[in-house]
Amino acid sequence: MKAIRSFAGWAAIAVVGALSFAALALGRGQSVNAVWLVTAGLCVYLIAYRFYGQFIAHRVLRLDDARTTPAVRHNDGMDYVPTNKWVLYGHHFAAIAGAGPLVGPVLAAQMGFLPGTLWILVGVVLAGAVQDFIVLFVSTRRDGKSLGQLIRMELGPVPGSLALVGVLAIMIIILAVLALVVVKALTSSPWGLFTIAATIPIALLMGIYMRVIRPGRVGEASIFGVVLLMLAIVFGRHIAESPTWGPAFTLTGTQIAWAMIIYGAVAASLPVWLMLAPRDYLSTFLKVGTIAALALGIYVVAPKLAMPAVTQFVDGTGPVFSGKLFPFLFITIACGAVSGFHSLISSGTTPKMLEKESHMPLIGFAGMLTESFVALMAITAACVLEPGIYFAMNAPAAVVGSTPAQAAQVISSWGFTITPEAITQVARDIGESTILARAGGAPTLAVGMAHILGTALGGQAMMAFWYHFAILFEALFILTAVDAGTRVGRFMIQDMLGHVYKPLGDTDNLAANLFATALCVGLWGWFLYQGVVDPLGGINSLWQLFGVGNQMLAGIALLLCTTVLVKMKRERYVWVTLVPTAWLLVTTLTAGVQKVFHPDPKIGFLALAHKFSDAAERGVVLAPAKSIAEMQRVAFNNYVDAVVCGVFVLLVLAMCFFAARTCFKALRESRPTAREIPSSFAPAGGGE
Amino acid sequence: MSGSDNGTFQRWQAFCGACRQVFGMPDYDRYLAHAAVTHPGQPVMTREAYAVQAIERRYGGKGGARCC
Repeated sequence: MKAIRSFAGWAAIAVVGALSFAALALGRGQSVNAVWLVTAGLCVYLIAYRFYGQFIAHRVLRLDDARTTPAVRHNDGMDYVPTNKWVLYGHHFAAIAGAGPLVGPVLAAQMGFLPGTLWILVGVVLAGAVQDFIVLFVSTRRDGKSLGQLIRMELGPVPGSLALVGVLAIMIIILAVLALVVVKALTSSPWGLFTIAATIPIALLMGIYMRVIRPGRVGEASIFGVVLLMLAIVFGRHIAESPTWGPAFTLTGTQIAWAMIIYGAVAASLPVWLMLAPRDYLSTFLKVGTIAALALGIYVVAPKLAMPAVTQFVDGTGPVFSGKLFPFLFITIACGAVSGFHSLISSGTTPKMLEKESHMPLIGFAGMLTESFVALMAITAACVLEPGIYFAMNAPAAVVGSTPAQAAQVISSWGFTITPEAITQVARDIGESTILARAGGAPTLAVGMAHILGTALGGQAMMAFWYHFAILFEALFILTAVDAGTRVGRFMIQDMLGHVYKPLGDTDNLAANLFATALCVGLWGWFLYQGVVDPLGGINSLWQLFGVGNQMLAGIALLLCTTVLVKMKRERYVWVTLVPTAWLLVTTLTAGVQKVFHPDPKIGFLALAHKFSDAAERGVVLAPAKSIAEMQRVAFNNYVDAVVCGVFVLLVLAMCFFAARTCFKALRESRPTAREIPSSFAPAGGGE
Repeated sequence: MSGSDNGTFQRWQAFCGACRQVFGMPDYDRYLAHAAVTHPGQPVMTREAYAVQAIERRYGGKGGARCC
């Protein structure tokens, strides 16, 4: 009886999913309701979790609740805590979901809603969720060790060190690109800048409250923190309209970039309780709350998708980012489909809190499916906007010009009819002076969210509030990520420098700390600055560099998973990780090589560098550079980007070699050679 | 909250505890319960000391890597 009911339930989900896809596919020529897209996604997630997730759990990994997990073995009530599976699912989700799944899908929307949606759904089921799940498994069976340590254990010391270098490089690029997203959103936006600046004193107040006034009362501090934030948004309008304060908070891109760099250096040097901790709590609450509100909003408002299913920009001529659908769609949407960065979380705190092995599918697999759902909502929010508005916001000034009239003309010539009045009207609705050249995802998502939330709550009058709320919500956790990421980067740099000169590795030494912090901030600050002055808007080069790096890390994590499966003698099921590994390697390597060597200066770093250095030699100044010196700087920046991208490619190839070597060796063995902690390992007291 | 209805109150407390864990907030009661089981009879940290230490462990260490 139970079996029949279960069968009927899953059949119903399959039918609903199929109907949703039919609505998406058959709605040619007329706009499709966003509810179908979100519903189709939800059905895919449910079915994938129930069938593929459980298949991996029972057949491929053979999870075994008789094995003690690190949380039970070392239970110390602090780091190692056996945790209820639903609680850990929430905790894991809060740790993996950041700005990534919100930005990538918005950029990819230039190709239409369908390519991005399909990649998000297929990618997450076959690659992203598999990676998160199996890395969690590998780490849990090895005492919760980190990705670098796991690679060292299973592949050898050289690949272990290589992976760490790769992780640091990606970290630097991520920090730069996230900071760039904030810069793009806040340039010439006094209202936005004021609310973001207000988060600093609010966080400091909360920090002092949590430390001195009512120690440990995070909830109370957060409640009044949220209230103050809302007041800051409301008050921001008056600041922007004030003749004295308005201009004071109207900064250029380079000014904000410098402010971010100084902020990063100072924030990462303050005690954690003062700013990092309160702001992280605040941003986590806002993140979870806003994502839930957005999901509800889509179902309540049921907006139509204004963007076509597929646009002409699949041919690589898109204004937001250049390059064809293959391979660039697959590196533009990283988080949400598959994100290498998650392998650091799945081998970080989560395995130390896992109570039973059978909880892994919910936490590793379904946790990633949930992040993918966030990505799906981001693409929805971008596609409910009029395409003309979308392109006005995301195309660089070099392509569409810098006035609404020019932009409307260029964008209309692409077939997305829009009037200059419509562009200025949106800017007025959201309380900004302009919406042009606001690439980077956050502002587009914010307008889309303002559209959805404004329709659900408050109508047109509340649009400006919801826009600035959405900007605040994204900027808040980006700034937290910048702060936390700089600290992590500092530890990694100190760890490496310690091998060169011992005192530099001393994490208790203030001078060594400051030196490593300055180095870390200097590195991402340099990339941020060059992104801000980049002729094509910066996102075009940095986001794709990040995508290549992040997918490369995913490739490395999946190579580790593949190697472990082979070493466990489960080669029958090795396709589970080998297929996504192969796909990631093909896309990442193609994209990496194209980014370096492509003859089109919009795509290839070297081509753009040559274009600028050649023109500089002839004494010609190309926009947006204003002098020969600036031209040479653009050329130099692009040479550096080419080198970073080339290093990523070589790193992946090296990891492939090491993984293949280990796998072939393991295949020749007759017994499993994976280095798991034996299932009989005595609980309590056991350490290394 | 509804102190009169004991069941509801307990459920509310359990819910708050779960939320604290999800968001990684310090939970002094959980620490006390843990200490009572693992180190019975030994002195425990004050609420202040526990809060300081919990924040430091969560953010001060090498961990704290979060996603993009």
